[in-house]
Amino acid sequence: MLDYRLKLAKRMLFNKKGSLIGAVLAVTIGILVIHVNFVIFQGLYDAIVRDITEYRNGDILVTDESNLIEKSDTMLVNWFSRIPDVKAAAPRFSSNGEINITKNGGMIETNRIPLLGVDPIQDIQASSAHTTVSEGSYVFSHNSIVLGSNIVRDLGDVHVGDSIEVGVVNRWGQDEVRRFIVSGIATSPGGQGLDYSAVVHIDTLRDMLDRKGYTSSIMVKLHDPSSAENVRDLFLASFVNDDFVAETIEESAEQQLAGFRSGIAMINMIGYFGMMSSAFAIVTIQMMLVNGKTKEIGIMRSIGARRKDILVIFIMQGILIGFIGAAAGTGAGLAYTFYAKETKLSFNNSLPLEVSFDWPKIFQTALTSFGLAVLASLYPSFRATRLLPVEAMRYV
Amino acid sequence: MSKVLDIRNLYKIYGKEKVNQVTALDDVSFSIDQGEFALIVGSSGSGKSTLLNIIGLLDKPTNGTVRVAGTDTSKLNDGQISSFRNKKVGFVFQFSNLLSDLTVLENVMLPMQMAGMQKSREKATELLMAVGLKDQMKQRADRISGGQAQRAAIARGLANQPALVLADEPTGNLDSVTSKNVVKLMKSMCETLGQTFVVVTHDQEDFGNVDHIIQMRDGKAFETSMVRRVAT
Ligand SMILES: Nc1ncnc2c1ncn2[C@@H]1O[C@H](COP(=O)(O)OP(=O)(O)OP(=O)(O)O)[C@@H](O)[C@H]1O
Ligand SMILES: [Mg+2]
Repeated sequence: MLDYRLKLAKRMLFNKKGSLIGAVLAVTIGILVIHVNFVIFQGLYDAIVRDITEYRNGDILVTDESNLIEKSDTMLVNWFSRIPDVKAAAPRFSSNGEINITKNGGMIETNRIPLLGVDPIQDIQASSAHTTVSEGSYVFSHNSIVLGSNIVRDLGDVHVGDSIEVGVVNRWGQDEVRRFIVSGIATSPGGQGLDYSAVVHIDTLRDMLDRKGYTSSIMVKLHDPSSAENVRDLFLASFVNDDFVAETIEESAEQQLAGFRSGIAMINMIGYFGMMSSAFAIVTIQMMLVNGKTKEIGIMRSIGARRKDILVIFIMQGILIGFIGAAAGTGAGLAYTFYAKETKLSFNNSLPLEVSFDWPKIFQTALTSFGLAVLASLYPSFRATRLLPVEAMRYV
Repeated sequence: MSKVLDIRNLYKIYGKEKVNQVTALDDVSFSIDQGEFALIVGSSGSGKSTLLNIIGLLDKPTNGTVRVAGTDTSKLNDGQISSFRNKKVGFVFQFSNLLSDLTVLENVMLPMQMAGMQKSREKATELLMAVGLKDQMKQRADRISGGQAQRAAIARGLANQPALVLADEPTGNLDSVTSKNVVKLMKSMCETLGQTFVVVTHDQEDFGNVDHIIQMRDGKAFETSMVRRVAT
């Protein structure tokens, strides 16, 4: 049979719908805020990591301490392709230069454009950068160029099929200019793609700079990102005599992500402060409940309830509030998370959030707010036990 | 007959400073035997409630001893006091006796559940039938009339077969007809169950013949022992 204290706790609480709803809502909202924060900020963070991985750094990025890799990129790509965990690897060459276009007799010029040399065949396997080409197609020949949407904007009226000039300063300090045909225009939601770059064939860029056989980086894509550290270590162990630098995405994108991470930590802290204020709301509401039940406490004491029983009754109310609030808050949070995930939620057409269910965190959030609700009920419950039965009975 | 209540030189002084001290009980002594029906009467402020609350361990005396069923209640600790209130005394107050969040039946079951007693539902049902509340058992306690509430409170007061049932103006809030019925109920419970009652009242006439009348005046008790009435 249900213990009479639990029954009383339940009845007293459920007969005060306003207080019950207020207290439960405080817990629910506290949890929901944390879930929404997580979906948005962790989702944004993960989306950035995802895009940097996909478009720029891969799961592992191999570079050289001396800035350029001298070893044959074919050899390195082949080495990686023999590792079962590796899906694909592709060489890239980075530099910068200027671009100009002559249209209607006038010339428009842009400076210091990041130039990216890719191997078209290997790149589309290791990176999804080619999918950001919204007009035309990816680099396919030695004189085709893909322009990021931002460069297109700077240059004014550029279209697929237009002819443009790209100038670089080669390794000997001489200007080297080539003519290209715009094969595509790249744009990505959130701008983490090639929006600010110009992409050409890797051999063309090497040729312009007179850096035949050199590579800036090897971008490695894995079947399962969690094996990144193993593959990295294996690679470094196999090339101990070289000056290679091999980094997982967390390492290679550290600079971009560090600030964001501390931002998330702060948002989380704000979330937990929110939870604390829910706890204070519960203290207030429960104090009201206790004050409203002075007479009942007196009656209970007069028919034999011990202080302990009174304490238990009110703590049980805290447990009920915490339980219902945690369940409702977690339910609402999961519903929002599910919605965000299914709709690939994004804000103002920016990058779609990378939404995930972090079960340990979800569980921990529910447990924390449940614990806080119970903790918050301790003081009002204790106060209830201090009421003397005669005093309590005086309030008729 | 064994003394179920024995009070010796009881004092209750409210207020710490000399200037505003009130002597609510002033050297009160009397005793009541098992199965008797006793009234405490007196004008307002004469100390009736104070006396009853001390007997029922809701309050502590400044001085003196109270023995209930042979136990010196001043020797009890907090936990024992609760248990004592639960098992040895039953309370009926003027208002608000019942917990409004529970049904009438649940209210009567409560002291038995606190005592860890088995079959509390059956016993509470029996008691409620005896006080004539068969049809109100499942009602919420705040949805019944004042007279019904007092009957339910009496049933609850009898639940653990206490040594004493203490009632503080149990009819003070009722109309005269209802009030007479409640008095009749208490007297018949005293009669049939041999249950001892100590009742504070302003309406002494309603009670007819009783075993004891304790007259309170300015904190002092004047006892009038009656001839035990012949069974009717
Ligand atoms: N908590 C208290 N603090 C100070 N004085 C008190 C307190 N309780 C009661 N008194 C005083 O003690 C005296 C006796 O009060 P008590 O309530 O026992 O009277 P009573 O006989 O029950 O009166 P009534 O018939 O009006 O209920 C009164 O003078 C009252 O003012
Ligand atoms: Mg009184």
